[in-house]
Amino acid sequence: MLERIALHQTRLHTPGLGLDAKGVALGAKGLVLLPSIDRLVALLAVYTRERSLEDLMPSLAMNVVQSRLGTREITLQFAAESSDRMDRVAETARLVGGFTLTGTSRHFVQYRDAGAPFGYDATQLLATDAAIALYHERFSQTYELERSIDLRRLLLRLMPQEDPSAGAEPGVRLVVAEQGLGPALVHYLVRSHVDGEVCVAEWAPESAFDDAPVRRWIFRLPEVPVRMRPLLQTTPGITSFVPAGPGVAVETGYRHPVELRACPVFDTAGLVLVRGRGGEPWEIAKLPPMGSLTAFARVELRAKGADAAVARSVAQPEMVRVPLRVTPSTRPWRNVTATWIDNEQVPLLRRLAYALPQPTLAGARLAITTRGVFLRLAAGIEAIPLGTFFVEVHPNLYLPAGHEVLPAVAPEVLARALGAPPSKVLFVGSDANAVAVDESAFVPLETSLLAAPSWEVTTTAEVDAALAETPIDLRVTSIGLLPLRGVEPPPTTEEP
Amino acid sequence: MAVDLHGIAERLFVGVMAPLVLGGPLQPGHAIGARASLALGPEQDRRPANDRAPADPNLADRVERARIARIRLLAPVDRADPPSAAEWALSAALHDLLQAANPMFDAPLRRSSAARILALAAAAIDAVPAPASVRDALSRHSWFARVLEVARTDTTVSWWLGSRTFLGEDPPARLRAWPELRRVRVNATRRTLLELSPLAFDAEPFADAVARFLSQTPLTDVATCTRSTPAFAWADSALALVATRAGRTLALRALARLPTAEVHSALGRAVRELFVHRRASVSGPALAILAERAIAEARGHLSAATEGAATSTRPDATFARALGALVATEQLRSQPGWLERDRRGLLSSLDPLVRSEAAREGLALLQTHLTSRGGTVRA
Repeated sequence: MLERIALHQTRLHTPGLGLDAKGVALGAKGLVLLPSIDRLVALLAVYTRERSLEDLMPSLAMNVVQSRLGTREITLQFAAESSDRMDRVAETARLVGGFTLTGTSRHFVQYRDAGAPFGYDATQLLATDAAIALYHERFSQTYELERSIDLRRLLLRLMPQEDPSAGAEPGVRLVVAEQGLGPALVHYLVRSHVDGEVCVAEWAPESAFDDAPVRRWIFRLPEVPVRMRPLLQTTPGITSFVPAGPGVAVETGYRHPVELRACPVFDTAGLVLVRGRGGEPWEIAKLPPMGSLTAFARVELRAKGADAAVARSVAQPEMVRVPLRVTPSTRPWRNVTATWIDNEQVPLLRRLAYALPQPTLAGARLAITTRGVFLRLAAGIEAIPLGTFFVEVHPNLYLPAGHEVLPAVAPEVLARALGAPPSKVLFVGSDANAVAVDESAFVPLETSLLAAPSWEVTTTAEVDAALAETPIDLRVTSIGLLPLRGVEPPPTTEEP
Repeated sequence: MAVDLHGIAERLFVGVMAPLVLGGPLQPGHAIGARASLALGPEQDRRPANDRAPADPNLADRVERARIARIRLLAPVDRADPPSAAEWALSAALHDLLQAANPMFDAPLRRSSAARILALAAAAIDAVPAPASVRDALSRHSWFARVLEVARTDTTVSWWLGSRTFLGEDPPARLRAWPELRRVRVNATRRTLLELSPLAFDAEPFADAVARFLSQTPLTDVATCTRSTPAFAWADSALALVATRAGRTLALRALARLPTAEVHSALGRAVRELFVHRRASVSGPALAILAERAIAEARGHLSAATEGAATSTRPDATFARALGALVATEQLRSQPGWLERDRRGLLSSLDPLVRSEAAREGLALLQTHLTSRGGTVRA
């Protein structure tokens, strides 16, 4: 009945069969004859493992056909389009034990194989009214259509296979919780700081005895902590699903025989949840809008008190302040340029002054205060080993050598906090008390050494007293009632 | 009615003479009068001199020590004589001068009394003979050297309701009480002898009396030549003093203690007046003073360098220096006893002054004077 098509053969007997550019006999459709439904599933599983059904879906038609002998077989028809597509389908069908044929309307001839690279042509056509007539080298058979097979229903009826590795990889998880567990799971996830969205979906009552729809909480969790996975998978009433494609998800721990991601039969607006253990899929025609998990967190209302505590402005906000501390430090001493000499040690300073070199005397600047003597020497105060050494940490701000301040603020901050004007020199003691010395009070040490002011003043006063003359102070006295009494002119020469 | 000269002397010594030497409050009392003043001296009283000794020996000792200190500024003298009759008289006259300046006389029916006292005091001053010797002049100077330092403290006390002025008196304590509450202000002003006011008479006779008094103590007169009032003029007693070597030495020492420029100015003005008033015949001692000061200046004994700028602005000072240099040059050329080196050095130093315009003026005055007497001066 079939003959191989020769090279450059142009005439074919089968109606609707033609030759493509490669010379391969090709009809408008392709047809795969499969002996059973499982072979169909196997075909789909193998085919979708490599490529998507998206290009086949517009023309894909699956039917249960019945031969004249009453046997039922499965046909899968699709647009042939090109020998390349037909080659891929033929190889897959050959793997699963199916036959690949091509034709246009009802007569389908065997697609090419290794024995007939250009395909086959039916030399004698069957005179029949059957829906399809298949011509194969092994048989020629007519079939009637019994019923069609919906791919979506087929996929949903397929039971997922247990696969412990399924769902082990990180990613998005869909969790369905029964109505009673939903709020608790929400709070659990919120407390665990798991981000996600949640909605509540309704299903029709499962039996006539149920008068209310079944409500379940559906969670979409972008990332589920590993520690939670056993909880979500093993807790009764909580089912975890792994998204298997747009609008479809498979229960965690199960794998669908067909790669659902390659089957564009699920509405992206809805959701189909394929369950394991033989459970019927949960199908949601249109997924309700999902809200953030935090929106479903448990809220508690205060039993008493005002609705809101209104903040009032105060005169001066209370600032966060801590007292300054000066603590010993192991840092090396640097820039030790000042010393604080107690009044008891001033005599030692006087005695030490005789031994100081001229540059030290000329460079050191001294301020005499009631708290003692402050000495500053830019070249380093080590030449005057008296008193408490100070380090200049900031212009005009000194800290005890070998000490640091707590809190460990920057010297600029400390200077700003102390708020001393530039004309003041601040010495912060080890007790954290600061002493301010007027900058103008510092005078060169060499000019201060030779003071002895009290002696000089006393000596000068004594000299002045010896040479000074008491001023003559004319006092006015009473002239009396007779101021001329007894006042007589000088005697004349004639008088004795 | 017999006059208690002893009591007057005691009052005079304690109230005037001692304060005049020691300083302190000088309190003239009832006017003494010319007759009593001239009678206070021991010679006139014909009683031993020690009868005039003050009752307070300590005060007398202090006065004597102060007088010796004053004398030793000019001469190495270890003893000061008791006050002579002339010194008693001058002290009494000064007492009456000060009493005449008492502001209480500046009232109706009293002003004539003040004028009378002043006139009698001036008469007493005139009656005192001039110092007979340099020692006498030095002794008088020891008493009256500070006569121009006599000053009265006039105090004005003002408070929130008014004010009062106390002339030579201490304001009562009640007026100075509660100074802050009553806003008391005390303003004390010292008025020297010739600034006293108010006076019951014109200021001119009073100044004239003071000038007469100074002329009776020539060393004091010369030693205070830089005074403003009365202006220094060569009195006969002063010329007589500086005519002697010892007197001139004392005068030069006294002048050396004064500002050089002001001394030059005072002496130049006084010498010019001698020529103007045709008293050039007695100007020899004054010229001698100027000549010795010129030589001292040339030898660096005077602070000519620092005073030069000051004297250049005073014509009288320039005149005095030029005239002194002119006379000194004449003396250096005519008088023996100078080392030739010193003579040339001094002449060269004095030469700029001799060639100055002021020297020509002085030379003209001298030639006029000498021409009238038949002499000449080498130019």
